[in-house]
Amino acid sequence: MRPPRAAEALLLALAGDAEADFVAGDLAEDFGLLFAERGPGAARRWYLKQVVRSAPSLIGLRMRSGELTGAVLRATLGVLLPLVALDRLWRFVYSHIPLKDGVDRAPGLLMLNVLIVLLCSRAAMVTDRPHRSVPEIMAALLAAVLAMYAGVGAAPWLYVIAVLLAAQAGTISNLWRRRVR
Amino acid sequence: MAKGESLGEFEHLVLLAILRLREDAYGMRVRREIAERTGRDVTIGAVYATLDRLEAKGLVTSKMGEPTAERGGRAKRSFHLTGEGVEALNRAQENLLSMLDGIAFPVRGGTR
Repeated sequence: MRPPRAAEALLLALAGDAEADFVAGDLAEDFGLLFAERGPGAARRWYLKQVVRSAPSLIGLRMRSGELTGAVLRATLGVLLPLVALDRLWRFVYSHIPLKDGVDRAPGLLMLNVLIVLLCSRAAMVTDRPHRSVPEIMAALLAAVLAMYAGVGAAPWLYVIAVLLAAQAGTISNLWRRRVR
Repeated sequence: MAKGESLGEFEHLVLLAILRLREDAYGMRVRREIAERTGRDVTIGAVYATLDRLEAKGLVTSKMGEPTAERGGRAKRSFHLTGEGVEALNRAQENLLSMLDGIAFPVRGGTR
C-alpha cells in the first residue's frame, strides 16, 4: 500500500526542500486511510488530484523560500558561463588556426566543448535530493536555450542535449541510490 | 501582524482549524478539518502555503515530529497558535459579530 510512484515523484519535485517531507507524509497518511475505505483506484485518483491541484501553491512556496532562484543561479553558473567562456576560447583559437574550406569547427574540439559543458552542468547539479533535480533541469534547459539565442557555441542543440543528459543522469543516480539504501 | 491588518478568509479557517485540533494540528488534519466542516475541496498545497504565510506573519509556530510508518517514514510538522494568532482570531470574530449585528438570517432577496 504505497502512493503511486510517479505522482509521489512529481510531488517531491514540485515541493521545496523545506516542505517535501511533510507534504508527502501527510498525503501518504490520507492515502492509507482512503485505500482502506474506498479501494486502491479511488485512493490513487485522489492522490494524483491532490498533487496536480497543489502544484501552483507548492511552486509559489518554493519561490518565496528562494529555492528556485538558487536552482536558476546554479544552472546559469554551471551551463551558461562555461558556454560563453568556451565560445570565446575557440573563437580565439580559430582566429589563429585556419580551417579547411566548408568546415566551420573541428569535430574534435566540438566534442571537447560538449564534454566540458557536460562536466560543468553535472557539477552544478550534484544534489543528494532527487526531487531538487527537476527544477534544475528546467533551469539548465532555460540557460542552454538562452545561450543558444545569444549565439554562443558551434552546435547549440548539442549543448542542450548534453545539459539534459547530465541532469537526467544526476536524477537517475540519486533515485537509484535512495532505492538501494 | 499590524493591528489594522485583517485575516483572509482561508487564513481565518486555517487558524480556527488549528485552534480546534490543539496538539494534533498538522497539514493533513487541518485540511481534513476544513473539508469536513465547510465542504470545501481543499488541497494540501493550499494549506501549506497558508500555514507558511501565517508563520511569516507570526500568527503560528511549528515544530517537527518524529517520522512514523503510516506516513511512509516521513516526519510530521505540527502547528500552534501564537499570542498574536489568538489576538488576530479574537479581532476577526469581533469584526464579524459587529457586521452581523442587526441582520436577520437567512437573508432573502438580492439582485439577479
